Amino acid sequence: MADNGRKADTVTLTIDGHEVTVPKGTSLLHAAETLGTEVPHYCYHPGLTAPAQCRICLVEVEGAPKLQPSCVTMAENGQVVHTDSPAAKRMRQGVLEFYLVNHPLDCPICDMSGECMLQDYVFEEGREKGRGREPKRVFGRDDFGGDVLFYGDRCVMCTRCVRFMDEVARDPRLTVVERGSRAVIDTFFDRGLEGASFAGNVVDICPVGALVSKDFLHKARAWDLDRTPSVCPNCSQGCNIELHTRDNLVQRLKPRENREVNGHWMCDYGRANYEWMNRPGRLEEPAAGRGAKRCVADWRSALEHLFVKLREGAEVKAVGSASASNEALAALAAVAGAAGEVSARVFRSPRAADEVPLPGFPLLVRRRDLASNVDGAGLLGFERTGDDRANGGLEDVAGHDGALLVLGDELTDQNEDFGAAASLYVYLGTFDSPAARNADFVLPVTTFAEEEGSFVNAQGRVQRYRQGLQAPGSARPAWLVLGALAAALADGGVPESAGDVFAELVAAHPAFAGLAWDGLGDRGAALRTEAVHG
Amino acid sequence: MSDARFRNPGWAGNTGEFDLTEADVRGSEFVGEQPLDGGHPSVAPSLPYMLVKKDPEAPLFEGPYLERFEKIRSRYPMARAALIPALNLAQELRGHVSPETMDEVAALLGLSDAFVRGVATFYTMYNKRPVGRFLIQVCTNISCNIRGADEVLAAFLEHTGTELGETSSDGDFTIAEAECLAGCGFPTCVQINSRYFEDVSAKDVPAVLERLKREVNDGF
Repeated sequence: MADNGRKADTVTLTIDGHEVTVPKGTSLLHAAETLGTEVPHYCYHPGLTAPAQCRICLVEVEGAPKLQPSCVTMAENGQVVHTDSPAAKRMRQGVLEFYLVNHPLDCPICDMSGECMLQDYVFEEGREKGRGREPKRVFGRDDFGGDVLFYGDRCVMCTRCVRFMDEVARDPRLTVVERGSRAVIDTFFDRGLEGASFAGNVVDICPVGALVSKDFLHKARAWDLDRTPSVCPNCSQGCNIELHTRDNLVQRLKPRENREVNGHWMCDYGRANYEWMNRPGRLEEPAAGRGAKRCVADWRSALEHLFVKLREGAEVKAVGSASASNEALAALAAVAGAAGEVSARVFRSPRAADEVPLPGFPLLVRRRDLASNVDGAGLLGFERTGDDRANGGLEDVAGHDGALLVLGDELTDQNEDFGAAASLYVYLGTFDSPAARNADFVLPVTTFAEEEGSFVNAQGRVQRYRQGLQAPGSARPAWLVLGALAAALADGGVPESAGDVFAELVAAHPAFAGLAWDGLGDRGAALRTEAVHG
Repeated sequence: MSDARFRNPGWAGNTGEFDLTEADVRGSEFVGEQPLDGGHPSVAPSLPYMLVKKDPEAPLFEGPYLERFEKIRSRYPMARAALIPALNLAQELRGHVSPETMDEVAALLGLSDAFVRGVATFYTMYNKRPVGRFLIQVCTNISCNIRGADEVLAAFLEHTGTELGETSSDGDFTIAEAECLAGCGFPTCVQINSRYFEDVSAKDVPAVLERLKREVNDGF
């Protein structure tokens, strides 16, 4: 075949008439993928071993006596493969017909409908009409515990879930019980998945609607969801996720593949903690004036007044947040620096008692820090204060008589006297707080779900997230509010995007040197190793 | 023993081709010896060794059973490979493999309980529910079916007064349907515990049951 095929580490083969060169040890399924050809598959999953038992990825390899399972057949020099030949298609149609012998036609009430691999394949290549006349066998459904519900009749016995629990979670609680047509996935009697920390992933990898999330049950149709690439905000691991939104509400979180961070997985803790993104009662309009004198202002006049106040100069104490973006924290630091001498830059962040590792994918750990940007805050000069429940530690700040800037900390443990002595108290947050009573300016900012920005995860990786929700009222990203103020104080240009603020951040903070906004892409980029602390 | 058909009762593994005696199978020192309460009656009569007394509260394997279990375990490089013989041993003791037994075997072998359940439920020869003193498995596969296996099965159910898969009220008989018992030359084939009864017809059933009851009364 081709010359490059002679190299020891690559092989060249022909798939559907196209020549392709792939590294040695690549499966035919992967090789076809590089050509943009998806070979149907159920049991194969890139994060798991391939048992080649679903029999739907069989392809024709010239010279081989029988069709070959493409998920475990390795590409070889000179192979001629047909994924779409009449023999392969006829076989797939036959296999699909067997799958449909017992599969219920309950797509209209199935959560998986719209993203179901059985639905897709049958639609593409299945028979127009089934020939089965026998009644289907019925298992009903079974509560597996945790967030997982099992519809036995929909199962195609790919055993992805069994292998995930065995190989990746290393907690083999799922198994195939019985045999033949009675075979079904189950746990050990009533000892379910309760208490497993990564069991939610079996719902993601189920190719059909057999394993579904109780939380998402009948909540939304797959085709009604908008999917936004994001980063999980619930711990400092920063798993790459998708926000699935509808009606401007987050409906669920799904992991997004990133082999440097979370593989294909995410933890149940992160997955379950999304309702706070939908919490109502947000701050929607900027307001100025302390206590009873508080009145709603528009952004222009609020920021103009604030600008004048900031220019008066004072000793500044800034309270940031480990949930705020790098851009917001850098802009906060810039505003604080321009307004006067900064005597404190602190943040508070909750810490769990333990880490929760995923044994089969050691990079992924539910970290102790239960906020997304603890490491970013550290790199940007903020110091942790308070206890593991994110309480206390603000004694110096509460009674400070200079300028006080609070970003993203709801101050739930502080009382109404907070900031009473401050010459200027600015509160940027998503929710009002009793401790914001003395604020001269209350400025509504967005959550991570409503803005663009970036976090630094515990591995020292800078990762971008995108906007999935519309911000309520006039809430604006903190990087925009603070970036505009910082620009005005420094006679610079107002940032037009999070990328602009990031560029300034990179210039101002050596730890981020060498990074570019566009270079972060959807998978992030690592900080230079010497910049990563701890 | 007047009926010629029962001349050879058939110990475990005996298809009627050889004339094996109890001494051949169990060892001469055990001839006439009755198994103690260690093993389940459904397996005990054909065992070539003595069983030990068993405290129901005791761990699954102890004494000679623990020795046998450890021997089984030592034969395999991986614990999961020893699972099937370990389950065999557990069933020999208890007559069936209950969820609790699966759990104990899983703990002994360091396997997950779910995996043990998967294996135990895959194989039909593990009884998942308690069985009586005599587990009567009637082959209803092709050869036997042609020779009236359905009637044989119905006769067993009728004469013991049980439902298929259930145990009679006296705890003596459990009737089950079996796939091919490899006795196709002598249909209908019935396996009772470890013994084969061949050429059984529906009218033989009362005599077979009578004989089993006699064994019980004789202390066997």
